[in-house]
Amino acid sequence: MKFWERTNRYLWMSVAMLLVCGLAAFAQAPAAAPPAQAVAAPTSAQATPAPAAAAPAMDVPLDIKAAAPPSADDLAKGDPGGTKTGTVSDVVAADTKKGLTLADVVNQAGQNRIAINFVWTLIAGFLVMFMQAGFALVETGLTRAKNANHTMMMNFMVYGFGLFAFWVCGFAIQMGGGAPYSTLGGITGLNGEYSISVFGKPFGLWGTHGFFLSHGGAYDVGAMVMFLFQMVFMDTALTIVTGTCAERWKFAAFAVSSVFMGAITYPLYANWAWGGGWLAQLGSNYGLGHGYADFAGSGVVHSVGGLTALAIGMQIGPRIGKYTRSGKANALPGHDIVLVLTGCFILAFGWFGFNPGSTLAASGNGALRIASIAVNTMLAGCTGSFGAILYMWMRYGKPDASMAGNGLLAGLVAITAPSGFVSTIGAAIIGLVAGVLVAVSVEFFDRVARVDDCVGAISVHGTCGLWGVISVGLFADGTSNYGGSWNGVNGSVTGLFYGDASQLVAQFIGVGTLVGFVFTLSYVAGWIIDGIIGHRVSASDELAGLDIPEMGALCYPDFVLKPEREIVPAMAAGD
Amino acid sequence: MRILGILLALAGWLLPLAALSMTQSTGARFGACVLGIIISLVGILGVLNGFHQADAIWKKG
Repeated sequence: MKFWERTNRYLWMSVAMLLVCGLAAFAQAPAAAPPAQAVAAPTSAQATPAPAAAAPAMDVPLDIKAAAPPSADDLAKGDPGGTKTGTVSDVVAADTKKGLTLADVVNQAGQNRIAINFVWTLIAGFLVMFMQAGFALVETGLTRAKNANHTMMMNFMVYGFGLFAFWVCGFAIQMGGGAPYSTLGGITGLNGEYSISVFGKPFGLWGTHGFFLSHGGAYDVGAMVMFLFQMVFMDTALTIVTGTCAERWKFAAFAVSSVFMGAITYPLYANWAWGGGWLAQLGSNYGLGHGYADFAGSGVVHSVGGLTALAIGMQIGPRIGKYTRSGKANALPGHDIVLVLTGCFILAFGWFGFNPGSTLAASGNGALRIASIAVNTMLAGCTGSFGAILYMWMRYGKPDASMAGNGLLAGLVAITAPSGFVSTIGAAIIGLVAGVLVAVSVEFFDRVARVDDCVGAISVHGTCGLWGVISVGLFADGTSNYGGSWNGVNGSVTGLFYGDASQLVAQFIGVGTLVGFVFTLSYVAGWIIDGIIGHRVSASDELAGLDIPEMGALCYPDFVLKPEREIVPAMAAGD
Repeated sequence: MRILGILLALAGWLLPLAALSMTQSTGARFGACVLGIIISLVGILGVLNGFHQADAIWKKG
């Protein structure tokens, strides 16, 4: 029922036009074939004009000649102009003996809408999947050559570890209770949400349908589309952690940590935000705007990844040589800036799947806003890199290349949550702030907190992800319309600058949950893994590089690597 | 210290949740959120990170 309620105006306009055409065709047709409904109707009804005369006869064969399909001779000549391909002849009749009916046309229109949304969401998911290659290049380029194989392998295998965990239980926990998902045909089987009552209000905690994509009606084409799209998002969060902990993380600890994150940490928060959980219900339960609004995952994906990176990064400790005995930070530059910036470009390309794809639709429910979302995405990335290089240029006299890349990513991370709700002006400001913020945050973690983050992932994804979540509550302009409501609250998401302060409160509750709950869960899980496996490799392995001790092969066997002491001067010599 | 840091981080999260039912005021709820986030950050960056920095590898020489 919900599906039909939400069916877009274009579909109804199409149906109405088809009805008019069908009725007109029917009126012009010979009266020899009365509709079946009229045959079955009582005689008295035929005598008086029925008020429901406008109701269409759905199962009456249509006169398709009125639509003037191209003849076989025309088609045999080819269609270089593209005007004869795709006509009434291509609409499939359910009963070929009976011929094409209005019901066939209407069903085809509905299936076409869902098919457009399927294809759009799948292609967007494929783009996001390719972001794994971007992350791999960025992280490998920003680490030293002696660890390149190990860093690349973590980025490669996190895809498989995460996918497996998400298939087993992560998807069910995340999306198993949020149905109906109207843009993908409903997927009504995913409707089991475990909730508790807190202060008399329902708090959705996790989904209960969809384990192994088999349980509870999850063996469904729409569920498969949803799984693919959500899975590649989850994997993006997982791969953030490998950047922070590179060059000293045991591969076994990384594997277990990734499986846990893909199975529990990420899906739990994603359920609360996207799967109908309690954060999404803040609007309907407590009148806080439209509930926690995170369009494509600044919080769900990036902050979860960034805060988990912080939790494990704190426990694993800095690399040998990163700090002198007095605590002064040394720069441990990566080995290939070409890899880094190429990876950033790949990520920026993949982000066009990340944000616009999060409509889960390209047809109906206001999904044509994908155009605005795509432009917002590219603008914020652009101003993010501007902000970062301007900060570096003014502070250090040079426009740092790796920070330019991180600035681009920071802008993209920050616009991820608000991309569907803000104007281009808002997007540019959000990106610019993120670009400066990432540079300041990197300095803070490097010099003040002394949490060694090889690639700046905590700042790019954690800090700027949180900024993205907050920016929804500031810059959402109230013009979006995704089916007339968001999180079950009518109207459009509107931020403080456009008149709704309560939306900002909902966003801050999301930030508090990320910082207070997600970090803590990741920290405790990391603590347990550290006790059982141990996060950190031995000092000798770390100094030698992890390619041989952990992977058994060098990434660059023909290269002569510099001895450690030349690269890391301070550890043995004091300051 | 580890346990204290974890408890502070969690307490900072629970504070705005409790405020949801205690007040209808947007301003008060916002204040509870900000206070909660500050408490969580103190627990994470102050207490927990301080614990790990106490025996950091660079201090061992």
